[in-house]
Order: sequence, then structure tokens, then C-alpha cells
Amino acid sequence: MSAVIEIEGLRKTFHSVRNGRRVAVDGFDLLVEAGQIHGFLGPNGSGKTTTLRALLGLVRADGGRMSVLGEPSPELLPRVAGQVGAIVESPQFFGNFTGHRTLRLLARAGGVPIARVDEALELVGLRDRGDERVKGYSLGMKQRLAVASALLKDPRLLILDEPANGLDPAGIREMRDLMRSLAATGVTVLVSSHILGEIQLICDHVTIISRGRRVAAGRVDEVLAGYDRHEFLVRVAEPGRAVELLQAAELTAVVDGEALMVSGVSDPTVVSRVLGEQGLWVGELTPLRPDLESVFLELTGAYEHSSVPRQVDGSGLPHADQGEAVINLDRGVDA
Amino acid sequence: MNLVRAEIERLSARRFVQLMVVLLALAFAITAATTLAGSHKPNADELNSARAQASQARQSMEVSYQECLARQSGSLPPQDTGRYLPADCSEIDPIRQEKLPIAADYLPGVFTFAQQARPLLYFLIAFLVLFGFLVGASYIGADLNSGGVVNLLLWRPRRLTVLAAKLGTLLGAVLVLSLLASVAYLATFWVIGQTAGLPGRLDGDFWSSLAAVHGRGMVLVLLTSALGFAIATMGRHTSAALGAAAAYAVVWELGGRLVMEIIDARRPDQLMLSSHIGAWLTGEARFWDPQICAGNAGNDYCDSFYSLTWGPSLLVLLVLTGGLTAAAFAVFRRRDLL
Repeated sequence: MSAVIEIEGLRKTFHSVRNGRRVAVDGFDLLVEAGQIHGFLGPNGSGKTTTLRALLGLVRADGGRMSVLGEPSPELLPRVAGQVGAIVESPQFFGNFTGHRTLRLLARAGGVPIARVDEALELVGLRDRGDERVKGYSLGMKQRLAVASALLKDPRLLILDEPANGLDPAGIREMRDLMRSLAATGVTVLVSSHILGEIQLICDHVTIISRGRRVAAGRVDEVLAGYDRHEFLVRVAEPGRAVELLQAAELTAVVDGEALMVSGVSDPTVVSRVLGEQGLWVGELTPLRPDLESVFLELTGAYEHSSVPRQVDGSGLPHADQGEAVINLDRGVDA
Repeated sequence: MNLVRAEIERLSARRFVQLMVVLLALAFAITAATTLAGSHKPNADELNSARAQASQARQSMEVSYQECLARQSGSLPPQDTGRYLPADCSEIDPIRQEKLPIAADYLPGVFTFAQQARPLLYFLIAFLVLFGFLVGASYIGADLNSGGVVNLLLWRPRRLTVLAAKLGTLLGAVLVLSLLASVAYLATFWVIGQTAGLPGRLDGDFWSSLAAVHGRGMVLVLLTSALGFAIATMGRHTSAALGAAAAYAVVWELGGRLVMEIIDARRPDQLMLSSHIGAWLTGEARFWDPQICAGNAGNDYCDSFYSLTWGPSLLVLLVLTGGLTAAAFAVFRRRDLL
């Protein structure tokens, strides 16, 4: 597959008189290939939006190499800008314009046929509200309008920064369906979001950023597999005795409430065989697979210090430095 | 071209622009209405009386001048006639006067277009200068602040092109509006002069002089529009331009002038932008400099004034505006848009 977005070693440091020097992105890599729905995850202040802004030429990178649809960005971004639909954070629109007029203005500026405006409004479910003023829109409707503005160009690549912001559950589901249908037509989607369940549902690939560095990347199932401890929840009549029997069989098992947690199990039939042979019949044997949220929280260190108020820039958290585990796209887990 | 069309629509849709246009129309309507209400068409008696008074005034000026010459040549005894007779009689030579008394000067309550057109035009230019500066600043300032520029750059990722399109659209729109407003404004007062006052002497000299003031005014309007745009671009906010203008006025025009007077600096006026604006608009501005006549023994006439002419003043205004605009483009080209 051809690379649609390539970022290698992106670095960006902000300097300000008040706050001094702040490293926002520190040698970040990202690879998005054609046809992917690629999730881009990271805690607040981890460098997601800075990365997207740098990619789109809104922020000047201090180092690294970027390309979009095969063209170096931002130098030759204008060549492919007509094929890239993007929203970065929540774009602001004129409150006294209607949704239709807002899109018409953008279409005119970008040389897109005006007929495309109605199609984009239809796609995001604003067809019947397009003639209302934007100031009367809810947050979710404004977000839909933003997505419509990104879809106006009929893009080959769609970059969406937090597209689910302000959407109700039905809206989130519609957005998910929209992204899937776009991907089905060959559009590559890069979507950043905090709603990890959503990312897991719609994305086939994911990149996780923390403190400006990539901490995981690859197919969603591969990233999750890298954090699979092969744990099982086991319910039996005598949990204490069951633990002893499993430990005797060189399995790691602990009592967890009224059940057992058994880890390091490659074949779950071993558990039922060991217990069954001693007359303990297994009532429940449930595999505990990691979800994206647990992997995200583990990788970004956003959960372990939950007794300490978490700071947006990550201060007070374990530093995701080079010694931490990094899951790589094709290589599994690197120490 | 598409970008410019889109920018024209954005600019015309701005509430602030619409408000300023309404204010312009309101100021225009109030001025026209009060002029109309305070003027009447003079009857024959009023005209005859005014002409007689004007003629008498011109004669009186001639008599004073002749008296002055006679006294200078010694053919008249130095007795007090109650008239002001300067040492240099050319000062009161009627031919050298900028303007001789005319009938319109003696027609109270009668609007005379030829006499009032220039001050009315100055008022319009002043309003348009304010309009251009504020609209120029708010147009880019609000867009930078609200993310509108970012939105546009996602569509057209060419920063200089986008900024140039905005500036070009602004200048074009301000010029068109200024020309339309000027035509409507002057035409309205011309009609008032024709119907409820006097047109006055509207010869070629009058129109060419008025056109020159108008042309210079339009240049000034464009320069201040670009200035507001450039400062707001550099400061990212509309308020940056307003703050810079207020700070300049208070710190330099008032404070700086005061300090220069205290330390007896020579010709402080030529360091003030307001002096150059005045010189450009009127063609020439004269300022007092006591040191000009310091070496004069008193035999020759010396009026202690020096002039700023429109040429150097235009250069000052162009360099300032051009420099700030170039700086704004340079800053915008490299700036992180957050």
C-alpha cells in the first residue's frame, strides 16, 4: 500500500516569554497508508494537534520530514491541498452566515463546484438545517458543519481532529458510519479522538502519542495483542483451593473477589482440565482481552497516578522516555 | 479570483463593516439634513445686498493697500487712519490674497456649495480614514483570532497569497466604497446648493482643486486601511492596531511633542505623522520655527514659518505604511497559527 501521510522525526518546540521553552513534539513518526481509517490518540497536550497543524502547514516544524499524498509538506502541500479535507480542533464560522452560505464561501475560495455544498450537507445530516444561521446551531451541529467543510472537496485524504466533539450518541454513530462509508469508497481517514471506544470500533490502525513521541503504532488488533497478558476470569465453587491447584500446575492465579484471575494462560483448556481432574467444575471461563482504553492509559501513564490530579502537559506523570516499552507498527513490542 | 470573490463576501458580511457603513450613512444624512434645514435660496434683495457688501469689502482692501504703499513711499503723513498697515505692504495686497470677499460671505443662512465643498470633503475623508483603519484592523484581526484564517489556509495553503488577497480585497472594497460615498456626498450637497442655497462659482479651477483634495484623501484612506491591517496582522488582534494608534497619539504626538518643547528641540512638528498627513492632504502645511528669524536684523520681512510639502510627506507616509505592511507579510509567513 502507498503511504498517504508520512512523518519522520517531527520536532517542534514552542518558545514564549511567559512559559519559556516547551517541547511539543519530539522526534515523532507517523505512517498512514491508503485506505486506512487511522486513529491518532494521545492525552491532552501530548502533541496531537501540533502534529496535525505542522502536517498542514499551520505550524512551522523545527525538524523532521513530512509528506502528504506523496508531496513534501508544507513546501508542496498546495499541490495536493485540493485532495485533502481537514478540520483541526473546532473551526469557527461566522455566526450570522447560514450553514449553506458558510460552505458556499469555502467552496468558492477553494474552486470547488457550488453543487458540492448540498452533497456535503446531506452527508453530515444537515440538509434540512443548512439555511439556518450558524449561531443557532448546537455544538454538535457546528461540528457536523466542520466535517462538511472538510468533505466539500471530495477528498482522497480526510484529517479529522476530534470530530466527535459535542456530538450526541446518535451523532457519534452517524459519524462512525460516515467514516466507514468514506473509507469504503477509498478515502483515507486520519482521525484523532479521545473517545477510545470509538477509535477501537472504527479504526483499523492506530498511532498513540505521549509527550510528543510515538509510543505505539500499528494495526489495532496487533497493538492490543502486544498488551494481552493472556488473563482469564474463572468462577469455581472453592476459589481458594482452585488457586492452590493452579499454582501447583505452574499457573499464575490469584483470588479476585468471588472469582479467580489466572494469567499467562496460552491454552484455556489447561485451566478446566487441572480443576476438573480434582473435582472442581468451572462455572465461567472468560478471556480478559485488553481494550484500547487500557492500553492507552498504560502507555501514556494517565491512570497509574490517579490519586494525583493529572496535569494537561503530563507533569506529575511517569515520563514516557526512551526506556519505556514502545510498540512498533510491524515489530510488535520493543523494549 | 475565486479567493478574492470569497473575501469580498466575507468582508461585506462582517457586522462591524455593516455598522460602519450605517454610521457613515447616518453621519451623511444628519449633515445633509441640518445643512438643508439651515439654508434657504436667497432672494434678489439679499443677493444685491451681499454683492454690494462684498464689493465694498474689496474696495476697502484696495484702499488699505494703496494707503500702505503711499505711507511707505512717504507721500502720506504717518497719521492713524484706524487701518492695519503692515511694514510689508505685500501682506495686504488684494491680488496676493488667497481669497477675496465674495457675495456668499455676506449671505448668512445660505449654503454655498463652492465655499463649503472643501471642508465637507475633509470631514468625509476623516470619516473614511477612520473607517479604513478600523475595518482594516478588524477584518484580519478577527479572522486571525477566530480561526477563520486557519480555515482558509486549509483550503489554500499559500499564506502570502491568502494575506495578499485579503489586503487587496480590503483596499479595493474601501476604495470603491469611498468613491461611491464621495460621489453621493458631494452630489447631495451640490443639489442642496442648487435648490436651497447657492452653487457658487463652480469653474474648472474649483473642480480641479476639489479633485486634487479628493484624490489625496483617497490615497490617505488606502494608506490608513493598509496600516490598520498590517498592525493587526502583526499583533494578531484588532486591538493591537487600536492600541498602537492610541499609544502613538498619546506617547508621541502628545508626550513627545511636550518633551521636545521643553528641551527646545527644533521643528518638532516635522517629526509628527499628523503634520505629514496635513501636508499631504492640503498640499502644504506651515509650522512656526522661531529660529528661522533669529539672525534677522529686522530690516527684511521674516514670518518664522517653514513648510512641509506634499511630496516629502507622501514619502514618509508611504515608507511607514510600506514598511509595516512588508513586516506584516514577513511575520505572517513564518508564524505558527495556533
